[in-house]
Amino acid sequence: MRHADQTPTPPRHLPDLCVRCATCMAVCPVSRVTPFFPGPKQAGPGAQRFRLASQDSVDDWIELCTACRLCDTVCPAGVPISELNLMAKAKYRDERRGTLRDWLLVRSDRFGEFFSRFSVIVNPLMKKRAVRWLLDKLLDIDRRRDLPAFESPTFRRWFQSRPVAPEAAGNREIAYFYGCFTNTNEVDVGKAAVACLEAYGYRVSVPPQRCCGIPRLGVGDLRGAREMGQRNLSLLLPTVREGTDIVFSSTSCGLMFRHEYGPLLDLPGAEELATHLFDICGFLLRLQEEGRAGVRFGRLAVKVGYFAPCHLRSLNSGLPALELLRLVPGLDVRMIEAECCGLGGLYGFKKEKYAITEEIGKDLAKEVARMKPEIILTDCEGCRMQIRHLTGLKVLHPLQLLRDVLPSA
Amino acid sequence: MKRWDLIVIGTGLAGLTAARTAVEMGAKVLVIGRGMGSLALFGNTIDVLGRIPPGADMRAGVADWIAAHPDHPYARTGWPGISEALGAFRGLFPPPYTFDPVGDGNSLVPTGAGTMRPTYLLPVTMTAGAGMSAADTLIIGLRGFKDFQGDTVSLHLQCRGVNLSLPRYGLEGLTALALARLMDEESFRESLGEAIRSQMAGEKRIGLPAVLGLKAPADVLGTLERITRARVFEIPMLPPSIPGTRIFHRFREFLIDKGATFLLGNPVIGAEVKGDLCEGIALQNPPLLTPHHAKHYILATGRFLGEGLRADTERISEPLFHLPVLQPESRGKWFRERFFQQESHPIHRAGIVTDPELRPVDPGGRVILKNVRVAGSILAHHAMIEEHSHEGIDIATGYLAARRALGS
Repeated sequence: MRHADQTPTPPRHLPDLCVRCATCMAVCPVSRVTPFFPGPKQAGPGAQRFRLASQDSVDDWIELCTACRLCDTVCPAGVPISELNLMAKAKYRDERRGTLRDWLLVRSDRFGEFFSRFSVIVNPLMKKRAVRWLLDKLLDIDRRRDLPAFESPTFRRWFQSRPVAPEAAGNREIAYFYGCFTNTNEVDVGKAAVACLEAYGYRVSVPPQRCCGIPRLGVGDLRGAREMGQRNLSLLLPTVREGTDIVFSSTSCGLMFRHEYGPLLDLPGAEELATHLFDICGFLLRLQEEGRAGVRFGRLAVKVGYFAPCHLRSLNSGLPALELLRLVPGLDVRMIEAECCGLGGLYGFKKEKYAITEEIGKDLAKEVARMKPEIILTDCEGCRMQIRHLTGLKVLHPLQLLRDVLPSA
Repeated sequence: MKRWDLIVIGTGLAGLTAARTAVEMGAKVLVIGRGMGSLALFGNTIDVLGRIPPGADMRAGVADWIAAHPDHPYARTGWPGISEALGAFRGLFPPPYTFDPVGDGNSLVPTGAGTMRPTYLLPVTMTAGAGMSAADTLIIGLRGFKDFQGDTVSLHLQCRGVNLSLPRYGLEGLTALALARLMDEESFRESLGEAIRSQMAGEKRIGLPAVLGLKAPADVLGTLERITRARVFEIPMLPPSIPGTRIFHRFREFLIDKGATFLLGNPVIGAEVKGDLCEGIALQNPPLLTPHHAKHYILATGRFLGEGLRADTERISEPLFHLPVLQPESRGKWFRERFFQQESHPIHRAGIVTDPELRPVDPGGRVILKNVRVAGSILAHHAMIEEHSHEGIDIATGYLAARRALGS
């Protein structure tokens, strides 16, 4: 089946909204480091005018778009540039056979759970040079990229097996979408999220959930992304319909749920979910501002750098984590002025793209070197991986720091 | 929902100036941009009123202009207002990357088309262009960089020009951003400086495309001047504008640091109006429509490019508050006979009419919305292209709008 049968293709006139002003060229992290990607203006609306459903793709470079979506955030004409790129990527992929690498990488949720069980064996293996060399040679997964270690038990199992939350946790309900990476690789982010929500007087539930599907979208697998979307909607809508809102701690999962399930993938129920879905820091900040349920954070005299992930910018609801962090007495929090960390999710694990992600990351690394923070905080797991890789510093989700200064802690 | 003191709609120089002014006054500010705004396109130098001859006194020139154009946006601020707002703008750019006039008033600087244009404040990376002469200047083009045609510039300016291959093999065809980023690297700019020096034949000034770094342009300038022992200047070129991007980044950094909230990438598509007050606006990020409320609003959405004004086949309208737009009486009168000519087309004078406090008024002069102020190029009664007054209007009215909104 062709993707065009299943998903809405942007109306043909959309590229013509582009006035060729080139503002997008001022922010694209890829075209600023490589001449092989022509940049959003050319790759998106420019090339779209020449693309025909009946003709084969010719633009190999479309794969170089990281789907950071920064171009969308600066366009004065409202051209859905990254969406045009994505559709072109999907067509390009449909014309070829998907690679084994993509097949494996986008199933990291399933493998993750499996690996988590056997983390004692898997983690040392993934550190072995021979294994990394093999992955590099066989799957083109770059050996210079650290593979994230798996943790056991998973967040979900930790949550389900922990003692029932104390009565003091309050009686307002909130559901938490933790995402695959929190579940199997950064369980502490989930623990911190639960601690913070409880400190604000919420009883937390974790409805059944699957990978949001953004990795599939990233490789141009629209059909796979739709499937994940449909599954999640059937798993999460009951929670929403019971009157419980859902928060997410991964900005990429959140972006996928809120702005791709509906507008791009046209999934029924997406809008209903979107209106009840909140970035966890934005949710806490609102409680703080409403004053009824605010908490007074304890003192912490540390110098931290905060980095705003690209997908948080696309969520376009400000920088709530930064605002929360500013409420911590003693905390010296500064914005890291860089456009993008460069990883692009799975993109950065691919051998042919590693150099690009490293080059983009250099700008961020330079800013960090100038700032000299003790800890770096950012809402996206991809950014965290990349910033650790680039700087060797301790990199946390903002909630992990906030958890340590909660009144009860 | 949070209630802001001020919501600024528009992230061009007018909106950013208004937001910054309000933040400095202690207000809780939300800034909303449909896109990045016009700085990334045209932002290079700060024009105030290019019609005033180079070297002539700006204060007197602007006063004369206002006397002859009593409806012009500058009539709302006067020279003192312009001067105060420009001072505030300059305060945002401490040394080494400063904005200064060359001499007492306007100066002429070279453009990417090889013409000379009048402007008032120049970033330190462009000041040396103001005093150039054909005999003492060498124009450097970069092979494969399409946004700046060194040959055209040197031909028109009648000075010597050379095209250099970039110091690192395989980089031809890079974008302005890619070049600016490389210039931030000391080793890259050093090798470019050496390459320039080897081409010099006694010139005292070197003109380059405006790509002298994003992060530390003054350092880039310093390196190049040290190696070439000449004065170096940037020449504005096709968008995206690197100097404009620097201005945007500086404002964004400042605003976020001071606690303003910055929303970029989605349009404000509706306003809730009760009587003569705006009670809220709605931001569209599909599928969500998010309301935001404030005591005051500033409309700085610019003209046609960012859809501050919208033209259909017959009329020009303001799509957000549906404010009356002063415009030629019929479509037939939008343009003059020839496209390229000295005087600007009547459509470029279209815009919103306000009272002295920059609140929008109806044709009878009655204030339509008491808590909305209008700033920047969307205002009526100016022809910024012809006047060379774009940035001056943005800065002066953005500043005034915020001051008046917050009651000072």
